[in-house]
Amino acid sequence: MTTSDVLEVIKPGVLTTVQDIGRPGYLADGIPPSGAFDTAALKLANLLVGNDPGDYLLTGDDPGAAGLEMTLRGPTLRALRDTVIAVTGAEMPVTVNGVPAPNWAVVPVRAGDEIVIGSARAGLRGYLAVAGGIDVPLVLGSRATNVRAGLGGVSGRALKAGDSLPGVHGSPDITDRRIRPDRVPVRTNPAELRVVLGPQDHLFTPDSVSAFLSTEWKLSPTSDRMGCRFIGPALTFLPRPEHLTVQAGSDPSNIVDDAICVGSIQVPSGLEPIVMGVDGPSLGGYAKIATVISPDLCRLAQVRPGEPVRFRAVDPDEAHELHLAARAVGTAADLA
Amino acid sequence: MTEPSAVFRSLGDIGLCVEFGDRIDLTLNFRVLALDRALKDEGIDGLRETVPTHRSLGVIYDPARIRRRDLERVITGILDDLPALTEFPSRLIEIPVWYDDPWSEACAREHGADNNITYLAELNGISREEVIARHAGALHWVSAVGFQPSTYQAIPLSEMRLTAPKYERPRKWTDPGTVCLAGIITSYYPVRSPGGYQLLGRTPIDLFDPFQRNPAFADGPVLPRVGDRHRYVPIDGEEYQAIRAEVEAGRYAYRITEGVHRLAAGAPEGSR
Repeated sequence: MTTSDVLEVIKPGVLTTVQDIGRPGYLADGIPPSGAFDTAALKLANLLVGNDPGDYLLTGDDPGAAGLEMTLRGPTLRALRDTVIAVTGAEMPVTVNGVPAPNWAVVPVRAGDEIVIGSARAGLRGYLAVAGGIDVPLVLGSRATNVRAGLGGVSGRALKAGDSLPGVHGSPDITDRRIRPDRVPVRTNPAELRVVLGPQDHLFTPDSVSAFLSTEWKLSPTSDRMGCRFIGPALTFLPRPEHLTVQAGSDPSNIVDDAICVGSIQVPSGLEPIVMGVDGPSLGGYAKIATVISPDLCRLAQVRPGEPVRFRAVDPDEAHELHLAARAVGTAADLA
Repeated sequence: MTEPSAVFRSLGDIGLCVEFGDRIDLTLNFRVLALDRALKDEGIDGLRETVPTHRSLGVIYDPARIRRRDLERVITGILDDLPALTEFPSRLIEIPVWYDDPWSEACAREHGADNNITYLAELNGISREEVIARHAGALHWVSAVGFQPSTYQAIPLSEMRLTAPKYERPRKWTDPGTVCLAGIITSYYPVRSPGGYQLLGRTPIDLFDPFQRNPAFADGPVLPRVGDRHRYVPIDGEEYQAIRAEVEAGRYAYRITEGVHRLAAGAPEGSR
């Protein structure tokens, strides 16, 4: 495999990072998986340009090819050689030398072309794949960027103007390929996030569990890849044993620290439930009312601050079937 | 105490929590470690990774390989045969700490708090020197790792007679390398982070090395593991700088001794 710089960053956009399917295997070390927040969108982008889409959040070893995760407003890039790109996820307008290009489709570019990814008209996170994939060094088995820990990607940080992105030479002979229209995810308003109740729903009052499931929550601006906060009514807790005040803390939401999965919803002090994101912690000391199922992290990734969300409870069997359906994303069946 | 039974709690479609109890208790932590070891020895198809905590074991699994109810059945079978452990392999790691360092004092001041050692001395009715002597005098058992890379929580294995409330309003930032205390739990900030634990001092050694350059990290990028014992060794500013230089040059020899920890007949502080 030959590698050479494939894209140069002219303007970095609001928050653009290199991501793949993530870095499983290190939760017990406190190292989150990271990777694309909307993995389905990145997989479809990789599929379009002929890259390995990789496996699945935390459950597979193959991180797939790395692309760019672009938040709110995308970057301006210069192609450094002839290749093909694809942009998926949020509806971010794409132009090549000023000429509009489609989303969810292969876009051929030539050396010297200027690629502008604009502000998202709907959704929050766009994904750009380039044939061959972005070839930054693997760190603990993945190229995913964790900005907080300074791991992976380009020097563990978001892209800056002047960065050059190395790419493996891919297959630029693919020139006309798009995602089947019925396989492009549809966004609803409010977004529906399916959850399995637990592990600590039993610590909340039954009224609060009902309120959690019936409220139209709004995403707080204080949200990022570590956690997404939701604004709505205060939730309350059942009386608890005295030893928890001593060992876990005086707030009724405090528990002795316990394992967290991506998607778990902590509710500190009963205020602003926080859905843990792909850069979130593996351990925490607040009661978790429910966990968003992994397929719906892709929906969560596309909710903008202020937009509404509802949580709907599913049982473990339904969650299992939804999981298997989501695992099927990223194959030739998704292509038009 | 009778052997606690385990409860399965959901962590969504790819996670399961096996909960042994809701409290900090060394016997619970031994059960967590025993199940963790047994699960890994069993080589279950579809078991991806585990997160041991004080009182529960988080299990990440691949639903395409094993269904939740089958995983629960396998774990139940393992729990039925799980011997009650009274000893467990445990490394003893010496962590040098510049107690009452100038950065911690500045950090506390910046957040409107007094020197935290002075505060703990007044609160516990002892001298400032005694705060340090009590913390450094106890062996500490790591009973959870997580939050940030290499963040751990350790409980004293003997009566420490030192407790610390959390900050009422959490700090906006804490310097990396800061060793801190809340309740009887010692923890550590690997990267600049918000936090509410009382600041005790700063260690010059790294507990996280993503590139695994130092031989101490041959087994993984993070040093602390559940089941390690820590001894905090007071150092002064000069020693701090000397050790820090060795760490940065990749020459620091970590002080790690392999050993075994036995559940003591006398009640350790963490087990009450």
